Amino acid sequence: MITVTLQYYAQLREQAGTGRESCDTSAGSLRELYEELRLRHGFTLPVDALKVAVNAQFSDWSRELADHDTIVFIPPVAGG
Amino acid sequence: MSHFSLAAAAVDVVRLRAGLQDPASGGFCAFEGWVRNSNEGRDVDGLEYEAYAELALIEGERIVSEAMARYGVNAAHCMHRTGHLKIGELAVWVGVSSAHRDEAFRACRYIIDEIKHRLPVWKKEHYVDGDTAWVACAHTQRQHEHEHRHPHDHAPHVHVPKPLFVPDYSRQTRLRAVGDSGQARLAAARVLVIGAGGLGCPVLSYLAGAGVGTLGIVDGDRLDASNLHRQTMYDARDIGEPKVELAARRITSLNPSVVVQTHAEPLHAGNIAEVFAAYHMVVECSDDMRSRYLCNDAAVITGTPLILASIHQYEGQLQVVGAKPGEPCLRCLWPQEPAPGDTGTCEESGVLGPVPGVLGAMQATEALKLLLDLPAPTDHALLLVDLLDQTMQRLPIDPARGCALHGGCIAVATAALKQARDDRTMDIAFDDLDAAITAGYALVDVREPEEIATRPLSVASHALPSTQIESRADELPHGRVLLVCASGRRSRHAARLLRDRGMHDIHSLAGGIAALSAATARAPN
Repeated sequence: MITVTLQYYAQLREQAGTGRESCDTSAGSLRELYEELRLRHGFTLPVDALKVAVNAQFSDWSRELADHDTIVFIPPVAGG
Repeated sequence: MSHFSLAAAAVDVVRLRAGLQDPASGGFCAFEGWVRNSNEGRDVDGLEYEAYAELALIEGERIVSEAMARYGVNAAHCMHRTGHLKIGELAVWVGVSSAHRDEAFRACRYIIDEIKHRLPVWKKEHYVDGDTAWVACAHTQRQHEHEHRHPHDHAPHVHVPKPLFVPDYSRQTRLRAVGDSGQARLAAARVLVIGAGGLGCPVLSYLAGAGVGTLGIVDGDRLDASNLHRQTMYDARDIGEPKVELAARRITSLNPSVVVQTHAEPLHAGNIAEVFAAYHMVVECSDDMRSRYLCNDAAVITGTPLILASIHQYEGQLQVVGAKPGEPCLRCLWPQEPAPGDTGTCEESGVLGPVPGVLGAMQATEALKLLLDLPAPTDHALLLVDLLDQTMQRLPIDPARGCALHGGCIAVATAALKQARDDRTMDIAFDDLDAAITAGYALVDVREPEEIATRPLSVASHALPSTQIESRADELPHGRVLLVCASGRRSRHAARLLRDRGMHDIHSLAGGIAALSAATARAPN
């Protein structure tokens, strides 16, 4: 089990009810982590609709997690 | 007949009117300005107009030509008197003839407002008590449009005739990296701004103020009361007016030296590349994901730098697409346009007014940086701005991990634009649903059941929610099918999914039910 910091933007922030949280997880990859969170928060966006960044760098969804990673989920937004 | 004339003696209005007769015109609108017997509480018994004739003729001609181009009217003329006039005499006459009345009214209004504001004409008022005063007509700041009274307008006092407006850019040319050469670059620049809403207002205002020579504006919407908390170029009296016209007028009053080109219809896959090619840069300020992808593709194909921003509630995103080989584009981040509903809109999610102000000001800054070749980071990034947390996060984009994996940005954009052109044959507009049925379409309502219950269609249709369209495709009627939703977005997305499965006779009602109501409600002209 590792601890990571999560940041949410746009609809994800709305659906999670927070912009930032700490999370203990045993997910093997970013993709698995997002699926876990999807169940917990009821995220409606599929993983393919998002970008993910780890420690301020965009990342592949297959990336493994490390303790104390800061992970940001970014949906495209359309408002103007 | 020229479009503008000065007359030293009374003119026959019937003759002026006859000059505007046009077989293609179904409407004529005229305005007459008369000499009134009082001004600012003083009794007036006559006045005298003096014009700087050479300039007035050029400026008058320009104003009437602008109105004709802007409103598409058939004929227009303005006559301004000079010399001595008595109470009740005709001082200024404007006439416009056009196909329909609306353009005639608008063009007429535009001409008289601009004449009052811009024409180098001065009037000397003769008061009943024997006193006289010169009053510059050009300082009235379009009072009749906005009813704001300028504090200096009160007591009539002597005004020194004012020259035409000369912009003063000293506060920016003082910047060493800008200077006179930078200012000249701005004056030569042509920038297209797509969307004159929350982001577009600051972008247009700052670029006009900075002296960008030509500003193009694309917006198909009319101002709504719900826009006013964030769209700072407009006021409550503008509600219902087309935003492109309001924005064009606002820019002209902010900086008359800027040339404004308006596009009152959204760009589409068929014309966007051609329009982009006429500009040096595009700033995307719409609230429409489809427009953002379309702009991205056209920018990449035409090599036009594109400044993207979008907002959601309290946050925003900013990306500068350089549109040069090796530089990442929007599709390098999110390859496919998200399904409608995957992205929020201001209408559904809400937005704090200053949020688009912040992001729009950043877009304007990026535009000026590019035009002036100011220092900028050498890598490319997505900037996330969170105004609740007061944080900005800059995420560098690795171009090698984006479109490069799928043939490169240009190949990806070319394929996407080709599909978007195909999509245009998919969208079909009807004035009412009976017309669709007469044309042989079977209607399928793809809204959710609760939406259908709230606002059922007026004609027979099948119901199949867009979310289930692929799994239940075998339930669709045979033959030509027209998918219908509230705005045309979900139906288009569903039609695309079905066409990708080889079902080519599937169409989408353009603009959805909302467009139907507008067409049905439109009063006959």
